[in-house]
Amino acid sequence: MSHTGSSGGSSPDVGRRRRSRRPHAQEDTVEAEAAGERLRQLNIDEGDDREHNRMIRNQYRELISAVQQNRESILSSKSNRLTEALEEANRIFDEVRQAREAALDAQFLVIASNIGKEKANELHSEMSAFDSTAFAEDLLTFMGINRTEVEEDDDSEDVPGGFLPSHAWQKMGEEASKYLRRAPTFHYMMGSFKSEPPVRKQRIERQKKASRGKAERAMPAQLKEMEQSHLEATEKEVERILRILQTHFENDPNTSISFFDFVVDPNSFARTVENMFHVSFLVRDGLAEIKLDEDELPIIEPVKPREGEEESRAAARNQVVISLDQSQWKEIIETFQITEAMIPPLYQTEEELET
Amino acid sequence: MSQRKRSKGLGGSQFSTQMTDGEDDSIPTQVKRQSQDQVNQKVSELVQFLLVKDQKKIPIKRADILKNIIREYKNAYSEIVKRADRILQEVFGLQLVEMDTKRHIYILINNLPHAEGQHPYRAKEKEKNGLLLVILSFIFMKGNSVKDIFFPGALWEFLHLLRVYPGKEHSVFGDVKKLVTEEFVRQKYLEITPTPLTDPPEFKFQWGPRAEKETSKKDVLNFVAKMQGKDPTFWASQFSEAEASQANT
Repeated sequence: MSHTGSSGGSSPDVGRRRRSRRPHAQEDTVEAEAAGERLRQLNIDEGDDREHNRMIRNQYRELISAVQQNRESILSSKSNRLTEALEEANRIFDEVRQAREAALDAQFLVIASNIGKEKANELHSEMSAFDSTAFAEDLLTFMGINRTEVEEDDDSEDVPGGFLPSHAWQKMGEEASKYLRRAPTFHYMMGSFKSEPPVRKQRIERQKKASRGKAERAMPAQLKEMEQSHLEATEKEVERILRILQTHFENDPNTSISFFDFVVDPNSFARTVENMFHVSFLVRDGLAEIKLDEDELPIIEPVKPREGEEESRAAARNQVVISLDQSQWKEIIETFQITEAMIPPLYQTEEELET
Repeated sequence: MSQRKRSKGLGGSQFSTQMTDGEDDSIPTQVKRQSQDQVNQKVSELVQFLLVKDQKKIPIKRADILKNIIREYKNAYSEIVKRADRILQEVFGLQLVEMDTKRHIYILINNLPHAEGQHPYRAKEKEKNGLLLVILSFIFMKGNSVKDIFFPGALWEFLHLLRVYPGKEHSVFGDVKKLVTEEFVRQKYLEITPTPLTDPPEFKFQWGPRAEKETSKKDVLNFVAKMQGKDPTFWASQFSEAEASQANT
């Protein structure tokens, strides 16, 4: 090792480090070159024997597999199995010629050292030896293993003969449940619904809203028309009835008209009621009067416009509610022998036209 | 009031405690009663939510609770959770436990003392319980963690002894490897951590946080002792560790 002269770096420390590294590096490269040379020589001479190498690899793989599979027994037993495995690996290594096989050796070494470390751990910690094999046996016994019969297909050689009954793990689970605070899961006894409705409901609602909207928009226009026509119809009808009444009275001013004769339509109960309805407007507006005659039967007559307004107001206003049902209506028709309506109907229904 | 359409739930008005409104006249009683009703509703909904979420045994995140149930009542979060827990305890014999206080993850555990006799678990659950306890026992007795190369490894080797082969389809457990390495891990019963820079890759098997809550070292040791017909003190260091662990809780 020789120190080269000062190289005049920015910081003296860094420079020193650089200087001290260089000699080591030089040494390493020399060694590496030598090793590489040796390896190359090996390759050229003997390494190309593929059969040999394959055999070596197989041996390593077998060894690794054996160690891994019997790991528990290597750990737990006080035997020298680990040492034996290492010695075996050493023997195989003597035959190694190429890096590929050497890599397998390295792999084995990793596994072996892991096991070694675990073994050391078990010695070091005061963990009382836990024999997992014995534990497994006890578990099987608890689960009710039947050792008399031997399994038909027994690929694994480690497992002793015997077979477990079908409820083995149920039994294990039953026991285990005592030691676990696992929350039993919640389930509906009768199952639950599938979550489809919500989607459909939305669609239905939207449709309904849409149709409603249109209907509402159409309604105001229609309603106005209807109401107007309705009002007009009523007014017109009332006027018509008044005219009929006045006409009758003009023709025969001295004969009072029987109320029933006037309103009843022997062909239609509905129209009778309508007529009474319209007549009530006349009475309300003071255009017609309903009085009782000598026989205590109601008569109707148009009211002549009086001279003084006070008198019209002074006229007694009585409120009367008339109820009429169909049987009464028929009785009236019979009693008063009403054959035709004094108030001709505006339109005739199909039934009437037929008869 | 669209929430009213949902069923009142198991909590409902029967189980929610009557909260006195107090003499706060600044808030009109009408409004206050309405929001109190809403809070009651939330409690019931949370109880149902937790019960359903627990079916898969996957831990429940606080974020999910806030998003799905609490929503605008964030201020009442702790009250709602506390009351839901109370209902779970008093009505169902379960307990809401915060498994991870940093990330706020919850699980449900059984609050009732260990009873002899029938347990209300389904068949599949019971069987998994069995396998789970066996694995947890193995890990504990081996010193709390089992380091291994996956295939094969100490744990797998142990399961082989029990006729459970993670490579093969099991008549009871099906895909055992998936059950152990995925389901149990997702449910936080087991923790499998890979050790970096190992080849072949090495994994460490440990108890998961759910296992810590649902059982104890003492219980597990008792189980092992019972199975092996020995006194728990037979394994001196495991015993002392179990005692120490119990003292800490």
